[in-house]
Amino acid sequence: MAQLKHLLFRLIVTALFLAVPILGVWTFVNADQMHVWFPEAVSSFGGEIDHLFSLILWMVGITFVATEVLLVLIILRYSRRDPSRSHYTHGSHVLEMVWTAVPALLLLFILFSQMGVWSEVKIAPPHEPSDPYSRENPLMRVYASQFDWRVRYPDEEGNFEGENVVESAYDIYVPVDTKVFFDLVSRDVLHSFYVPNFRLKQDAIPGMKVPVWFEAREVGDFDLICAELCGWGHYKMAGRVHVLPQDEYTAWLEGQREALYDNGSED
Amino acid sequence: MTTAAGTRPLGIDPPGTVHVSHDHHELGFLRKYIFSVDHKVIGIQFLFTGLVMLLWGGLMAMAIRWQLAFPWTQMPILGKVLFPETGGVTTPEGYTMLFTMHGTLMIFFVIIPLLTGTFGNYLIPLMIGAPDMAFPRLNMLGYWFWWPGILCIIMAMGAEGGGPAAGWTAYPPLSTIEAAAPGSMSGQTWWLLAVTFVGVSSMMGAVNYVTTIVKMRAPGMTLFRMPLSIWGLLIAALLQLFALPVLTAAGFMQLFDRVFDAGLFTPTDVVINNTNPETMGQAAGGSPLLWQHLFWFYSHPAVYIMVVPAMGFVSDIIATHARKPIFGYKPMVYSMSSIAGLGFIVWGHHMFTSGMNPNVGLVFMSATIMIALPSAIKVFNWLGTLFRSRIELNSAMLFALAFVSMFIIGGLSGIWMAATPVDMYIHDTYIIVAHFHYVVFAGSVMAIFGSLHHWFPKMFGRLMNETLGKIHFFGTFIFLNGIFYMMHQLGLAGLMRRTADPYAYETYAALQPMNQFISICAFCLLGWQVFFVFNFFHSMFFGKRVGRNPWKSCSLEWQAPSPPGHGNFDHQLEVHHGPYEYAVPGAAEDYVPQTQPSPQVG
Amino acid sequence: MSRNRYLALLGAWVCGLSSACHFERATPELHYSLNEKALADGSLLEDDPAGQVHLLGALELLFGTPSQPSYMVLPEWLDDDFDPTYLGQDSFSDEAWAELVERNREVFADQIAAIQAGDLEGVTKPRYCEDLWELWLGLLDDMPEEGPDGTYYEDDDGNPVTWKEEAVATFEGYYPTLAASAELYRQQCYHCHGASGGGDGSTSQYLNPRPRDYRYGTFKFTALNNKARPRHQDLMRVLEEGIYTTAMPSFRRFSDAQLSGLADYVRLLSIRGETEILMEADYDPDEGIHFDNLRENYELVVDRWRQAPEELIVYEGEVPHATPERIARGRDLYMRDNAANCVKCHGMTGRGDGESVKNDPESSTDDWGNKIVPRDLTTGVFRFGRRPIDLYRRIYAGINGTPMPAHYGMQIVDGEGVTRSLNEDDVWDLVFYARSLSVKEREVSLAQAPHGESHGEHEE
Repeated sequence: MAQLKHLLFRLIVTALFLAVPILGVWTFVNADQMHVWFPEAVSSFGGEIDHLFSLILWMVGITFVATEVLLVLIILRYSRRDPSRSHYTHGSHVLEMVWTAVPALLLLFILFSQMGVWSEVKIAPPHEPSDPYSRENPLMRVYASQFDWRVRYPDEEGNFEGENVVESAYDIYVPVDTKVFFDLVSRDVLHSFYVPNFRLKQDAIPGMKVPVWFEAREVGDFDLICAELCGWGHYKMAGRVHVLPQDEYTAWLEGQREALYDNGSED
Repeated sequence: MTTAAGTRPLGIDPPGTVHVSHDHHELGFLRKYIFSVDHKVIGIQFLFTGLVMLLWGGLMAMAIRWQLAFPWTQMPILGKVLFPETGGVTTPEGYTMLFTMHGTLMIFFVIIPLLTGTFGNYLIPLMIGAPDMAFPRLNMLGYWFWWPGILCIIMAMGAEGGGPAAGWTAYPPLSTIEAAAPGSMSGQTWWLLAVTFVGVSSMMGAVNYVTTIVKMRAPGMTLFRMPLSIWGLLIAALLQLFALPVLTAAGFMQLFDRVFDAGLFTPTDVVINNTNPETMGQAAGGSPLLWQHLFWFYSHPAVYIMVVPAMGFVSDIIATHARKPIFGYKPMVYSMSSIAGLGFIVWGHHMFTSGMNPNVGLVFMSATIMIALPSAIKVFNWLGTLFRSRIELNSAMLFALAFVSMFIIGGLSGIWMAATPVDMYIHDTYIIVAHFHYVVFAGSVMAIFGSLHHWFPKMFGRLMNETLGKIHFFGTFIFLNGIFYMMHQLGLAGLMRRTADPYAYETYAALQPMNQFISICAFCLLGWQVFFVFNFFHSMFFGKRVGRNPWKSCSLEWQAPSPPGHGNFDHQLEVHHGPYEYAVPGAAEDYVPQTQPSPQVG
Repeated sequence: MSRNRYLALLGAWVCGLSSACHFERATPELHYSLNEKALADGSLLEDDPAGQVHLLGALELLFGTPSQPSYMVLPEWLDDDFDPTYLGQDSFSDEAWAELVERNREVFADQIAAIQAGDLEGVTKPRYCEDLWELWLGLLDDMPEEGPDGTYYEDDDGNPVTWKEEAVATFEGYYPTLAASAELYRQQCYHCHGASGGGDGSTSQYLNPRPRDYRYGTFKFTALNNKARPRHQDLMRVLEEGIYTTAMPSFRRFSDAQLSGLADYVRLLSIRGETEILMEADYDPDEGIHFDNLRENYELVVDRWRQAPEELIVYEGEVPHATPERIARGRDLYMRDNAANCVKCHGMTGRGDGESVKNDPESSTDDWGNKIVPRDLTTGVFRFGRRPIDLYRRIYAGINGTPMPAHYGMQIVDGEGVTRSLNEDDVWDLVFYARSLSVKEREVSLAQAPHGESHGEHEE
């Protein structure tokens, strides 16, 4: 009876620990159905970032399942009531070498696989002479303030102060399939420019212009979210990035420049 | 079952025990239990205070979860206390206060004091065979320095503007300029004072631990004969010694910014809430990024302060209850040390998207990814210890096994955060929240529960109830995974932390049911702790009495009476070998205490 | 410990849990209150608690409660086909309505797709739209027996409309009820603007400038002349773009219909507040409240709002462009105390640090009793739009409730020494001078964040 109870208890404990990898994998497999998975990636580097994520996910996932299952098997097997003593050992030099070297190699592999994309996004953006915009000649400047996103498009001379500067609240319009460079500026506290669909996040720092770029590959409207605590209204600090076809974008900008001289009859 | 008077308690007294109590003059109640210099009393003082703080921090978490599950509705019970003016509906500035308080309390007032304050104080002299700490009065001062910290954090929460609102990371300018947030009024100053007091308290503890461990070991107790708990505590204390001054200095800098308008973190030409600090006569020209560097230079090592001692405790629990020597004792020590060493050069991974030079990001990524290695080595060594052992599935062991299982998750998910391009997407999302809760809650708190079950007999001379312990374990394990595992998914969907009402965003609109599930798990988790509280107090007075060594453990603390009297040991100690000599072939028992010379020990 | 005691503990826990599940996720009951500031400002009603209760009751008759707000509709309004709830919809052009429908299609895309696919189970409850959900449940009950494609009703031309079409149209044509808007207001606006719209919510005390108190009917930013009440479009513009550099953010993450509903609700609060103040002013300690004036006052206030659109400032003709001559003329008008005299408040350099700020406290207080400072014109930030026509309106008609006066028609001595009234052209000159003050020095002070290497060709 006591033995049966102990067996039952061991099985319950085993099931509990085994549930972690099983349900863990299950949630990742079914995340799509539960509507909790990556939003669609639409920037040029979004796909690469997702790819790197999945690369780590596979490596980490296999390690996770293997280690957890090993742990569960060990718990099940060695929690038997056995009158004999444990195996007396203080370790094994060979094993230590193996499980230091193998993870080290895997980690180095992960490390080197990440560097390219990081460099592309933050250090040296790909640049071709035909690109209309660059760090020195940005498409726009995004101002973050408590709790507002404003974007300014420069006048024809590239000035951000002046008569023909176009300013837009909440809505940011950019052309599709173009490397969009912009400067990120904060007027007050820290904010962060985060567009989940672009896989892009960059803090805005007061007193600094932070250069950012992305290239949207699809037309559509995407949420812009503040990702750095900026005060009580942090959750209200929303924006929307509208990716337009090139000609529509040009038409929009022209329209805005004309609308600057609106006589207000439409208001 | 009750122990009849006169019956010899369970457990084995070592041979040669002198059964006479030391004759020392009786201290009054105040000197004995309140202003005590005895490391055991101080440890238990830390324990009780820490558990109360744990409840407080937990209630803050419940309030956060209510808002995320049912935004802008009346919070039952808690809401009437926290937000009486709105009838129990969270206010936006109240929400910022909630997560700031939750983070601050849990890190500075619960995990660090529980691990180093409670167990550090209680275990260090006992496990190394010392009569007390090197500086008993400093030790008492360390505990009593905690109280001004507690008072300050209470003042912070009740301050005008609804308490500190800049998160536990207190990034300026939000935290330094009063106009930036209602909570940046007096609340933030109180917060800084609280963190400083707690820091000083930890510092006093750390000085004491290091000195005691280095200078007061029993004869024969070499460094490599110390239990891993002591190694973990020593490494944590060294981390505190080197990192904490930086936080204290940074805290004073922020205090100067706030009180004397020093402008160390205030950049030029910002206008906050229509107030320009410069026209108000404040200095400017500082850098907000400077704070982030200083803060994380402490707070990343702090993460290891919160997990390295737990690793040590878990190693001891596993070895004892699996009746097997630790597999790879020295690699365990080396990996803990290298975690601590590398821990000093990885702080930048909190700042990948902060606007610091991206070239530096590459360096921090390298260090951060490599820090996964010692963690992996530790996990494999625990598995090696368990392999071919005799596992006794009692509550202490279950919590220790849960620590290993959960630490695997917390460790592995950290690799995403280390990878800079991936971090650009997941930085500050719920996947980060999941990651650090797996390390700090599912890891450290589980280790604390396990350690309490393990060392409770030493502290109070009685066992904790096994059945209640197991009930407590099962519920806690299920609910914590229900809460934190699902947060990974939320993070992958891009959900930002610290967002009071995310569902108005199209990206987040579908996430509310998941958040409701998490919240219900969270309420259940808190409710389930009833079993722990009942067990803890019931066992303290009515638990089964035990003798010195109920677990048949090798390490020194079990040679002292339970609970140990003043001066700890009633017989002379001499250490002959390491602390994990279980299942020694040819030995009479399946364990050989450290004090017992044995030809069979290899 | 016996096994029974474990069971008892476990049982108690389960009971506790199940009772916890029955916690009502209630929304708190809000109440309209009287305008304390207006009472304190000399109304004798302050000392008459019974009278206050009577007035609250009368106002509730007219405007309902925060959970059930509604207007009392006067008989002649019925004849007129006028509903104060949708005051704004009179000005809803077909275009604006089409835009609203388009936005609804976007917002309810999932629901509409599910209906069209026939997956009625898949129609999820949209957040913030309780009223729509009730409509939908009603539709589900009304589904004809022959299924969603069966005839639901016939339209005016006798064409059959299927249930499915009707369901889609319900989502597309969603316009919130006042009660639904009041609930959205409670969630998004209440913590600053307060239950009665007094700008006294819990967060308000920390904000600079303070949130608007709607109860005086004075709104700073409109496109209108003569301090008229704002039009629906003016309120909508504030909701859509926010007021830059204040705590009022853009609320475009909600749909046009929802914002329109919010504007409707704000109008109700404002009309209620104005009516209340008129009633308080009428109070006589001997005779009590003049309830016979209630209807008259109510009509008076609603009429003010109805007439607002007539006051729109439109510049007839082409908006001029900035020229150095205009800017020079504008500067002249700005600087002289016998001209526009902007310098008095906005200062020599336009930083909002003129003499009056130092010497005359009156000029730094707005109608709501809050301290304000003149705009710093050098920041390039203009709270309600930076188009020339926006600034034109600011200068032409002033800013309601603030010391900024209407300049159009003001007696000035012009550059040639002729005394005349300030005309439209002068306003433009001032506009272009003000805009020219947005200095570039702020650009210079921005440091370039480190960003690794730059392109090869730019490296020296």
